[in-house]
Amino acid sequence: MVDVLKSLNFEYLCANPGNSFRSLHESLINYGGNRVPEFITCCHEESSVAMGHGYAKIEGKPLLVCVHGTVGLQHASMAIYDAFCDRVPVYIVLGNFGDTAERFGQVDWTHSAQDPAAMIRDYVKWDDRPVSLQGFSESAVRAYKIATTPPMMPVALVADHELQEYAVADGANLSVPKVTMTSPPVGDSGAVTEVARLLVAAENPVLVTDRVARTPAGLAGLIELAETLQAPVLDRNGRMNFPTRHPLNHTERSGPAIANADVIVGLELTDFWSTVNSVQGQVNPVVRPAVKPGTKLVSITANDLYIKSNYQDFQRYAAVDLAIAADAEATLPSLIDAVKRQITDDRKHTFADRGAKLATAHTQAMQAGREAATSGWDASPISTARMSSEIWAQIKDEDWSLVSNCQFVSRWPLRLWDFNKHYHYIGGEGGYGVGYGAPAAVGAALANRKHGRLTISIQNDGDLMFAPGVLWTAAHHRIPLLIVMHNNRAYHQELMQVQIMADRHNRGITNASIGSVLVDPPIDYSKLAQGMGVHAEGPISDPKDLAPAIRRAIAVVKGGDPALVDVLTQPR
Amino acid sequence: MRSLGVLAFVFALTLGSPRAQAQAPTTKSGDAGTASVANGKRAFVSAGCVACHGPKGEGTASGIQIAPPPLELPALISYVRQPTGKMPPFGTGVVSDQQLSDIYAFLESVAPPPSAAESLTGNSDNGKKLFAAYGCFECHGRQGAGASTGPRIGPPAISFAAVLRYVRAPSGQMPPYTAKVVSDQDLADIYTYLKSLAPPARAADIPLLNQ
Repeated sequence: MVDVLKSLNFEYLCANPGNSFRSLHESLINYGGNRVPEFITCCHEESSVAMGHGYAKIEGKPLLVCVHGTVGLQHASMAIYDAFCDRVPVYIVLGNFGDTAERFGQVDWTHSAQDPAAMIRDYVKWDDRPVSLQGFSESAVRAYKIATTPPMMPVALVADHELQEYAVADGANLSVPKVTMTSPPVGDSGAVTEVARLLVAAENPVLVTDRVARTPAGLAGLIELAETLQAPVLDRNGRMNFPTRHPLNHTERSGPAIANADVIVGLELTDFWSTVNSVQGQVNPVVRPAVKPGTKLVSITANDLYIKSNYQDFQRYAAVDLAIAADAEATLPSLIDAVKRQITDDRKHTFADRGAKLATAHTQAMQAGREAATSGWDASPISTARMSSEIWAQIKDEDWSLVSNCQFVSRWPLRLWDFNKHYHYIGGEGGYGVGYGAPAAVGAALANRKHGRLTISIQNDGDLMFAPGVLWTAAHHRIPLLIVMHNNRAYHQELMQVQIMADRHNRGITNASIGSVLVDPPIDYSKLAQGMGVHAEGPISDPKDLAPAIRRAIAVVKGGDPALVDVLTQPR
Repeated sequence: MRSLGVLAFVFALTLGSPRAQAQAPTTKSGDAGTASVANGKRAFVSAGCVACHGPKGEGTASGIQIAPPPLELPALISYVRQPTGKMPPFGTGVVSDQQLSDIYAFLESVAPPPSAAESLTGNSDNGKKLFAAYGCFECHGRQGAGASTGPRIGPPAISFAAVLRYVRAPSGQMPPYTAKVVSDQDLADIYTYLKSLAPPARAADIPLLNQ
């Protein structure tokens, strides 16, 4: 089994120990030499999977996660769902005592199942429970291929203890199959030609992106497509799709761009419906089209190739005019070629004029963002715009990588920083499951470590409290990561939701904080981190103290260790 | 419930826009004194304002009440040219400065008379306490500086009457607040507190925002 797993070239194994995979654990660290994969000691199965989630978005391939039977998988399940929604491959080996006659202790029974993967089957792409070593070998290779073929998702392979612990029979004819990666699905050539025709003929084409750039090629391809057409890109930021300071990045003026569009192409756009419809009002919401009548809608997404029933991450049905079931990144080269073939000199002039206007609008939108950032500049608690600007001042000349979701800090980094490399941003949770942030950041930092990148996470306080043990993992394995706490002392999203409900029910709005805030006592994240061996400072409430603290923390990170700066912040 | 679905609080008209006032054109073409109510009524329809704001600027589910106008004329012109909320920009090719001046006069002419509540005097200290106690900060920040969840409202650039109307019947993502929950006097106090806040500096004067 170790030989099979080594053939898949997993760089790391993330796990906390569990007796249902004790034999595989022992074999990996002794027979396998604890190399490729190297065991990363985790403190929660949710952390193990989320680390794999963050790692894969930087490295472009999965790491191995071992999960203990039943209770371990129950712990892991939310993180698996996040990775599923985010279309990220995580490779899970699940321990189990399959043969009831082989269960000799109470725990062997309570942590085993007839069908161990049943509880996650709705949100993994594939699972299997091989009953022989040769079966394990083939299923393991098959699982890797399935996980890494778009749409990418987690896979789970049950490893019953009989397979793990019993000696290989004399004369057994075992082999490890060659893994041949599946080329990603590319759009039908006729449909791609039609999309190109629509885009070239359009007066106001718009490209809307979400999880397009799986690799640096996706980022480069999207830039080429946008520049060829001089078309604006509205980035939903599921990945690092398009440079934030590119004149064709019009994310900050999405409303007018959508309203003015005559062709909209969604590229791996998870929620097309909300892009072309407007929902206003928390109470009795009003839905209106956000596009002009007759606007052509085109979707290119691998999500059309694989959809599940029970968990409804697929969003509301979008009535597009043309749907191409294909991986958008893999389709970009043929789409660019088709566009170039159809462009006439006349259209080139039109595109150039459009590009000039778009560049002006981009500059104005960026300036509007900077002006908005001035609000509450010297406030205490510290504004998230100020905190983001202070971080940027310290990292802008480094080879940096931001590995946390910007939504919770009003997207300030995306509005103020210069994102232009594929590892500059990795999007968010996928399934909006709290507890993803800290371990995914450590996993991404683990991937960045060998590249020498300065990894930064703006860490939500509520998220860290779900499984803070990952701080110890970062310290123990010397994973360099700058953690800047966005400490608003609340589960703030829910605080707003409760406030809205209190208002809707007309019951007064002074009790909304009950159950939603993290005060009395306030949590000292500096001490929490220090207790796990992480350099930490704070809490910092005066914005003037931020820059020196961040500089000191970066010095620690450059020395190869994690560091945390606790910042008391405005809510968003 | 642990959903993190982002509340995209988008308003048809931002409540805090002193920058818009500062950048407003000073040309006499925007002088309401030379404006025509009749022309304004026609322009209000031809420019499409009625679609979101209603025939008399009374507001609809898609756009706030704008009669009487919530901004001074120069600020309104700036906003229409470069809105920050859900409203699309309207260039001079669609509606000229003179037509906006006419529309402004029209909106003033059809505005309902001010209510008694609109003339209340507020208490800033109490307003500061209420701003925190009522959770206004949750979406707008602790000093009303704004965030992705709600626009900047400190200091407000629009009248108390406009705030009062909006809070009772908002058109965006903000839920309506009844007088039972937040009284008119409470709102007057909060408004007075927000008015007492200093306007932000210009981005050009902050080195960290120019890197």
